[in-house]
Amino acid sequence: MVKTTKKLSTSDPAIQNKPKLSLWNFWVSATLLKLLLIPGYYSTDFDVHRNWLALTNKLPIKQWYFEDTSPWTLDYPPFFAHFEWFLSQFVPRWVQQDGCLDIVETGNFGLPTVMFQRITVIVSELLLFVALQIYINKSSLSERSANFVVASSIVLSPGFLIIDHIHFQYNGFLFSILIAAILAAKHQRYLLCGFFFATALCFKHIFLYLAPSFFAFLLRVYVLDFSNFKFKSYYDLISIVQWKNLFKLAGVVLAVFGVCFAPLISQWSQLLTRLFPFSRGLTHAYWAPNFWALYSLLDKVLTLIILKVPYIHKCLTQIIAPPLIPATIQEIKWKLQQYNVGTKGLVQDVYFVILPQIQPKLTFLLTLFYQVLAIIPVLFSPSFKRFIGSLTLCGFASFLFGWHVHEKAIMLVIIPFSFLVTSDRRLLTPFRLVVSAGYVSLFPLLHESSDFLLKLLYTLVWSIIYFLALRQVTKMSSSVQRRVFFFDRFALFYIIMLVPMVIAVQLLDGLKWRYSILQKFEFAGLMIYSIYCSIGILSSWVGLSWLYNFDEPLWM
Amino acid sequence: MAAADKFSKESFFASPLYDFLSPFRPVGNQYYAEYVIVIFALVIRCAVGLGSYSGENTGPIQGDFEAQRHWMEITTSIPISQWYWFDLKYWGLDYPPLTAYHSYVLGKLGALLNPDWFALGSSRALETADLKSYMRFTVILSEVALYIPGVIYFTKWFGIKRRQSPIGTYIAAAAILFQPSLILIDHGHFQYNSVMLGLTVYAINNLLDGFYGPAAICFVLSICFKQMALYYSPIFFAYLLSKSLFSPSFNIPRFISVALSTILSFCVVFSPLYVFGGVKNVLQSIHRIFPFARGIFEDKVANFWCVSNVLFKYSQNYTQQELQKLSMYATAAGFLPAFAIVFLYPKRHLIPFGLAACSMAFFLFSFQVHEKSILVPLLPITLLYCSTDWNVLSMVSWINNVALFTLWPLLKKDNLALQYVVMMILSNWLIGNFSFCTPRFLPRFLTPGPSVSDVSESYRRRSFLPNNLLWKLIIVTSYVAMGIIHVLDFFVQPPKNLPDMWVLLNCGLGFSCFALFWLWNYYKLFTMRNTTFSAF
Repeated sequence: MVKTTKKLSTSDPAIQNKPKLSLWNFWVSATLLKLLLIPGYYSTDFDVHRNWLALTNKLPIKQWYFEDTSPWTLDYPPFFAHFEWFLSQFVPRWVQQDGCLDIVETGNFGLPTVMFQRITVIVSELLLFVALQIYINKSSLSERSANFVVASSIVLSPGFLIIDHIHFQYNGFLFSILIAAILAAKHQRYLLCGFFFATALCFKHIFLYLAPSFFAFLLRVYVLDFSNFKFKSYYDLISIVQWKNLFKLAGVVLAVFGVCFAPLISQWSQLLTRLFPFSRGLTHAYWAPNFWALYSLLDKVLTLIILKVPYIHKCLTQIIAPPLIPATIQEIKWKLQQYNVGTKGLVQDVYFVILPQIQPKLTFLLTLFYQVLAIIPVLFSPSFKRFIGSLTLCGFASFLFGWHVHEKAIMLVIIPFSFLVTSDRRLLTPFRLVVSAGYVSLFPLLHESSDFLLKLLYTLVWSIIYFLALRQVTKMSSSVQRRVFFFDRFALFYIIMLVPMVIAVQLLDGLKWRYSILQKFEFAGLMIYSIYCSIGILSSWVGLSWLYNFDEPLWM
Repeated sequence: MAAADKFSKESFFASPLYDFLSPFRPVGNQYYAEYVIVIFALVIRCAVGLGSYSGENTGPIQGDFEAQRHWMEITTSIPISQWYWFDLKYWGLDYPPLTAYHSYVLGKLGALLNPDWFALGSSRALETADLKSYMRFTVILSEVALYIPGVIYFTKWFGIKRRQSPIGTYIAAAAILFQPSLILIDHGHFQYNSVMLGLTVYAINNLLDGFYGPAAICFVLSICFKQMALYYSPIFFAYLLSKSLFSPSFNIPRFISVALSTILSFCVVFSPLYVFGGVKNVLQSIHRIFPFARGIFEDKVANFWCVSNVLFKYSQNYTQQELQKLSMYATAAGFLPAFAIVFLYPKRHLIPFGLAACSMAFFLFSFQVHEKSILVPLLPITLLYCSTDWNVLSMVSWINNVALFTLWPLLKKDNLALQYVVMMILSNWLIGNFSFCTPRFLPRFLTPGPSVSDVSESYRRRSFLPNNLLWKLIIVTSYVAMGIIHVLDFFVQPPKNLPDMWVLLNCGLGFSCFALFWLWNYYKLFTMRNTTFSAF
């Protein structure tokens, strides 16, 4: 046996040297680690999902979106509710007795419920492994190892570990559908792509942020055909539309939406208010590290400066007309008293003292503007890479400028970006910036001291492994343009400084009882997190946008 | 071809550990392997630490967690002269002074964060999430400072000596660092064994490097942290003595340096007790450290006395003094051959075998043994993961599983069943022990096996079983028996008149495996006495 093996290996070195590249080992080790996390901290999202399990199990479908015994009402689209219903069929008797399926105001449950729900997360995440394994197996030999690195970086992502397995959500499962859509796009199975993306939307509507990019890409590659296009009159525009494809795609997408929403069509207004709660504030419980975090920092700094040096206010009012800026110092002081900002970061509605207030409409327009900028190149030349680029930028735009953004939404940026990063070494710097700042910005989700070392060490080791691995599998720059070394070094410095930042904030938190000044700035830690991370994410966006818009060879 | 040959000589070839670490094989990447292993080892320790500790939420008198916390409380709050006298009924300090100093430092550090944790009196039986996190953190800190660097140095030393590839040494280090028993006891149950074991590893490292004075100092510190390190002392004594007396020749400076450093370090460690409390204080501490008033064994433990007690009730037939003498003779008879071999053949590659034989003799036959004491013989045994001999590796992996199994009753009491199962699977899976159950019927993309490393498709890794048929039989039988005992323990109520039935079965099985391993270890020690390093 041994002899034949050797013969085989000598006669065909390619066979011997070709690693299998399966995610199996990663799955085993990751799952074992996740099992150890079962007794750990979970957030209120755990009770949210438990409540959904209970209400989908106990109530008929018509009442799902009306039930409001618990404050944690169902606010995901119907497919996810069906998914919860499906899970609830597997609740064993001893878990039911634990209170897992009771519709109550706040859940009253013990370890069995925790075990059950944590295991559903682990099991449902299998889909992510399967999707990525298919991605690896279907990739060509030349890019196989690079794709393997990408796939394993996603399955081991600290984001999923923190959000799904400690904080508690089902992102691993939900993102597997999105990844399936991306895979279908990669292999030119556009109908399948449309199907998967529509399904993903019906599971979690946050994927709407990525919809413009999918729409533009599918429209351009599947529906429109410019190959024989010659403009003679406006009638010719009709001929560029491939009507058969259009109907097929529309049929698939509408069928998915139909299956999803048709049973609830009579209560569409209730459904809409549940899915799109516009009554919420500009920022989530803690400021997501986006543009608005920097905006409010600027506001605070300006307030401080103007109150200290009133002369500056005088100069400013010369340039800027008063409605955009408070007319007098008294008004600023009055506003300060009114809103009592300055120390609190944890308010649902943020008011700005000096700078203009932000309306939902504005954030919506800003997001849409940058998304349109991102999809225009796709319309001109729809390569897969460009599509992924636009997808990432759409995620960025919604994260940076959106209304009521969760810090968890950074996964919408990181996951598409992962599929892009191996194509060029210059993309590495923006990628590193966004993953490190993005994952670190998730840390405040786990505020318990027991998770501190775990989240820090896991993210650290993930970064060491994948920064190294990605550098090795990415191709050298395809264009002759010189890399800006200064920017790279600076980014590296920024990333390294995240570690002392995290430790310092934790220490500040630990020493809060000792110094009253720290108590006064109770939310200083969260502010430091969101501002420091927003710098990284914003610069990553700028870097990627630059390459996306001005570096032609990269995207062909 | 040559490369394939070279790889297959590596001890953990084609195991998941090998698989994970093979991307670090290129020279430029080797630098990172060490950090990756250590950080992952720490991540696992943190994750185990999320579970409960001994005596969590069980009322006023709790387990080792409360003991350690209480020691931080008394050392930081009362003068040294009172440390070994204070309220002995409630977790009185009964470890050597270095533990007390260690508690003092950690207690002071913790009081910076929250003085309530260690306030005298009021903090008794305190249980808060932050306190638990801090205590867990101190264990990790102690382990990072002592045990982990010691182990890595040891594996590197052996690797360089044997011209192993750096990755091979890192794999061995990872196998040692993922030893489940120590993780579960230190980070689950809650103790600071890694400090004592780490200091012992430093002592071994110094012996390997030929620094005999520092070796003596490290070993004395280890004893002064936890008296259980005395299990090793005959071997250290024999090795140091023989190195000073006749190998290669009588070496007076070395002899004096070893003797002086031993005596001086003992003096230094105990001097604060003397300075602040006089001789009486020192004597009291020693009286507390060696509690001869207690029984011959405590709880149920897989050693000779506890197991044979089923057939022969010692406490009815002998007085405490007689039993002490009896156990002393038995222990001496157990370790003297190892002592003699190490004394006559002081070779560096014999050190782990000698330490294992000697400390196992103590575990099996000495007085007042805890189930946790198995960690002491387990350390030199686990260090043998550096070996390239398949038989040695198999025995080591087997005895690690047995040791973990004997800890089951304790871990079950601590509500650490989940952690026990996960760590058992993880440690065995990482070193490739589950390769026999590779399901080949699955579609190709799901077929497990090495995924990143360049192991050829047809290569099938064996699980760790020795080549000898008899040993194979013994090991497989013991695994089956463990499985049966677990099933009984889980599903069947023990008979009414024998409520400890399953625990006793556990101890019996554990004892027989340990005894068999001990005999094998002696055989190994004896046959290796004349070999050179390369044979190891």
